[in-house]
Amino acid sequence: MARPGRAEADTFPIRLDAGAALRVAVAFAAALAIWFAFSAPYEKTLAAAAELVIRVFESPDATSLAAIDGEIRVDRTDFPPDSARPGLPAADLHFNFALLAALFALPPHPLRPANFGRFWLAAALLWIVHVVALVFQVESVYATRLGPWSAEHYGAVARNVWAAGFHFYQILGRFAAPFVLWWGVGRPAWAPAVARKSRAT
Amino acid sequence: MKSDKPDGAKTGAGANANRRSALFLVRFVVLLVVFYAIVASHPVNDAVIVPFTSAIARVSAGILNLLGEKVTVEGTEIRSSRFAVAIENGCNGVETALLFGAAVLAFPAPWKRRLIGLLLGSVAIQLINLVRVVSLFLVGVHRPAMFGTSHTILWQSIVVLCGVLLFLVWAARETRAQQRVAVEESDRGASRPR
Repeated sequence: MARPGRAEADTFPIRLDAGAALRVAVAFAAALAIWFAFSAPYEKTLAAAAELVIRVFESPDATSLAAIDGEIRVDRTDFPPDSARPGLPAADLHFNFALLAALFALPPHPLRPANFGRFWLAAALLWIVHVVALVFQVESVYATRLGPWSAEHYGAVARNVWAAGFHFYQILGRFAAPFVLWWGVGRPAWAPAVARKSRAT
Repeated sequence: MKSDKPDGAKTGAGANANRRSALFLVRFVVLLVVFYAIVASHPVNDAVIVPFTSAIARVSAGILNLLGEKVTVEGTEIRSSRFAVAIENGCNGVETALLFGAAVLAFPAPWKRRLIGLLLGSVAIQLINLVRVVSLFLVGVHRPAMFGTSHTILWQSIVVLCGVLLFLVWAARETRAQQRVAVEESDRGASRPR
């Protein structure tokens, strides 16, 4: 029978060597190229989905979102016709796709179907994260940047929830999301297993 | 590799590994929220983050002057006759250090080694961030059209990616160290006279 110590040692074949570094760099560059190429259509899907979600919680349906020139343009049916429409920078929301791709390139054979499948599952989950982030961003604009209209329609708690939620995404969430998704969905068996806490300190 | 563990034991070990992995993620996310609440508060921002960012600006300016750029610093802003850049939250490496710190603290390891990892990792992240600030300034001077993309997308991702890789390197070393301890304890137990 295998000794417990030896069996545990066999569960950790991680190698963050030059090959892994090269794979990460190549995947990062490739993902950036894909990201640049497909940002515009991707932003259209984000705008459509976020608009749908926002309209679920508003009555009557007033919000419309459009992805134009790297921005998500926010419009409402009750905005004065001659007022400026808020434009939210879209790239900040979703450039973390490149981080996700780089992390999935860590295994020695990243293009194997199992790893590739997990990557696309994580990418789909990341799309949901982007939609939720955009909803928070739009709601934070509504809650904090529209002067008397904001004060009339949003209470103190709602203002703080929407604004802090989006600020959290800006500061930490957008960088943490790819890591969390990789660890949760894509971390292959060879990645650092969370070992039991050693008694020896 | 062939294992002589019974299937039930293998399934149990897998379930344990999954539970520990999920617990790591939960601790990581909770720590992130706590860290965010701390650094986003005005008193901490004013008393710690802004002075720290000013120090980064001064060190970066020193390096830029060594490289022949004639720059001056005012608060968190670095200026030359050709370009000026203000280092803001998100550009000071703090967010990457917080991600790294949350991951290290969430990972099951002895406290002493966690603290050593935190210290060394944070220093490494700040060194990488200095390279980022200096290179972004140089991009701003020599290739201003590329500044936006380099700043928002390229360097932010690179610094965060480096932070994640540093954590993985630390976690790999830490796990190996724990496994060595387990093997030594197992060997001592096996050689103990009955």
